[in-house]
Amino acid sequence: MSRHSFPAFRFLQRLVACLLICLSTAIALPVFAAEQPTELLIGIEPEHNIFDQMQRYRYLASYLSDQLGVKVTLTIMSRYGEVIKRFKSRKLDGAFLTSYTASMGIKDLNLEPIANPVNLNGEFTSQGYLFVRKDSEIRTVQDMAGKRIIFVDPATMEGYLFPLAYLEQHGIRNINKFFTRFDFSGSDASSIFAVLDGRADIGSAKNTVFNNLIHNDPSIRQELDILAQSPRIPEITLCIRNEIDLYLQAKLVNVLLQMDKTAQGRKVLEQFKALRFVKSKKTDFAVIEEMAQDARAAIAEHGK
Amino acid sequence: MLLAVFFVFAAAPDSQAAKQIGVILTGDVPYYRAMHETFVAELHKRFTGAEKIEIIVQKPFPDPISWSNAARKLIAFDVDLIVSYGSPATQAVLQEKSNIPILYVGLYEPDQAVVTGKNVTGCGFKLPLSSIIRYFRHLKPVNTLGIVFTSAEEDSVRQYKTMAALAAQQNIKTEKIDIGSYADLSKLKTGNTDAVFITGSSLAHLWLKDIVSILKKRRIPTADIFPDDEESGGLINLFHPPLPQGKMAAEMAAQILLNKKIDSIPPYTSRDTELVYNLVEARQLGITIPIDQLIEASRVIK
Repeated sequence: MSRHSFPAFRFLQRLVACLLICLSTAIALPVFAAEQPTELLIGIEPEHNIFDQMQRYRYLASYLSDQLGVKVTLTIMSRYGEVIKRFKSRKLDGAFLTSYTASMGIKDLNLEPIANPVNLNGEFTSQGYLFVRKDSEIRTVQDMAGKRIIFVDPATMEGYLFPLAYLEQHGIRNINKFFTRFDFSGSDASSIFAVLDGRADIGSAKNTVFNNLIHNDPSIRQELDILAQSPRIPEITLCIRNEIDLYLQAKLVNVLLQMDKTAQGRKVLEQFKALRFVKSKKTDFAVIEEMAQDARAAIAEHGK
Repeated sequence: MLLAVFFVFAAAPDSQAAKQIGVILTGDVPYYRAMHETFVAELHKRFTGAEKIEIIVQKPFPDPISWSNAARKLIAFDVDLIVSYGSPATQAVLQEKSNIPILYVGLYEPDQAVVTGKNVTGCGFKLPLSSIIRYFRHLKPVNTLGIVFTSAEEDSVRQYKTMAALAAQQNIKTEKIDIGSYADLSKLKTGNTDAVFITGSSLAHLWLKDIVSILKKRRIPTADIFPDDEESGGLINLFHPPLPQGKMAAEMAAQILLNKKIDSIPPYTSRDTELVYNLVEARQLGITIPIDQLIEASRVIK
């Protein structure tokens, strides 16, 4: 008698098969049950003129809402601390983040970088500048001793991490001792104006803002000298929570990458002041981690 | 014999005698006064012991004869140090060629001024006048810029020349407004200026309220490189803060009075600036200051 013909065994076999089907369904369930929000709350880091910035992003949010069939709402955030807090409390589904914040979000919160806007000059990257007034007689790091430096914000690559890493590479770790004063301006443009006006001797800011100010007022270029430049890194990256429904994630990426292919999309891009969106990669941010390694000692030294 | 001994003792220098400082504070201009008040306070902190500091202040009217007379008086007093605020007063003292050490304070771009000599040191400031053109242009189109200056004041003339050159680079016409007397204020009532820059002329600052008032009636905004502490009504003030200048001057004066060789005390030039916008004036002039400009200000008068 074959074991296979035993009715009790056949029943057991069917039961196991049934259980396996149920189990596999249960395992697969979370994939299909991933969050499918009715609203996407997207954060924005503030720029120099937040009114103008909000207006630009509103056009984009409205377009995305139409295309995705999900309401896209914007919220302005203050600093990296708030980004972490809001992503953790799930009160934020995604955010347009500057490079340093994006890098930390990817590392600490496992955020997914999905797309970068390409600016009107055809660039999606930015770099940090360290600059002085031409008539300041500061030409080297040694000349900076005892002077006043202005950073942008502790959560910026161009305006803080890069200058710290650069100074560290030149043997300057304790900026409290090296400079008579250091301040945070809060925006790239303010750093540039502070150096132009003499409120600071050395400034740091991102090249896109620097070049934009020069485009509007060419006399600025005659007054400032760039002493150092950082590597190029994506300027703004839309990062989203990994828990968001994969289908919605894919749709969002597709809508952004295809925007410049339709008349309606191009109109919104024009209002948003971008040419198109390009796909983002996690590897784009590796250089920030290297810079953070260099700057870590300096940050630990002066407690910021 | 006794009489001879008495005279020798009477003529001997008194180790407890006060140190005398002569000060030339042109026209009692509020900006220089603020520097001087800090200077005096800081100096007294440094000489709290038995040694007293006596300060003789001259406040000449801003004209060459008055500056010269003030300098001569202080030299006649045989003070231990002469402190002069601004370029014209400093040059007046230098012309007298005395051996008394000279400390200049609040001098605009000292490296460009002719204030050298073995008995001279001091502190001054650099100010980027180009920022004033930039701020004006953010507020309104500027095709013609009026520049208020005084041809008898060396620093004011340099500021005029620098501003005229900067304006020319940006294709802005300039209009010279030379204030040598009160009657010259009538020059402000004509012309086609879109905005007016007021140099650090002491004479112009004596009549600042009147200057601003005339221009306000014509709805012409002004920018000044001295602070508007008396709220005369200028729209923009971009200036070097007076307190650090007074402190630095006190530090230098203390070293000189403690017999440090003056040629071993290097001159100091500060680049620190403050920017003040007057929103009340902006409203009255019908000018809206954009928010991204307001946030650059160290202070906003509301």
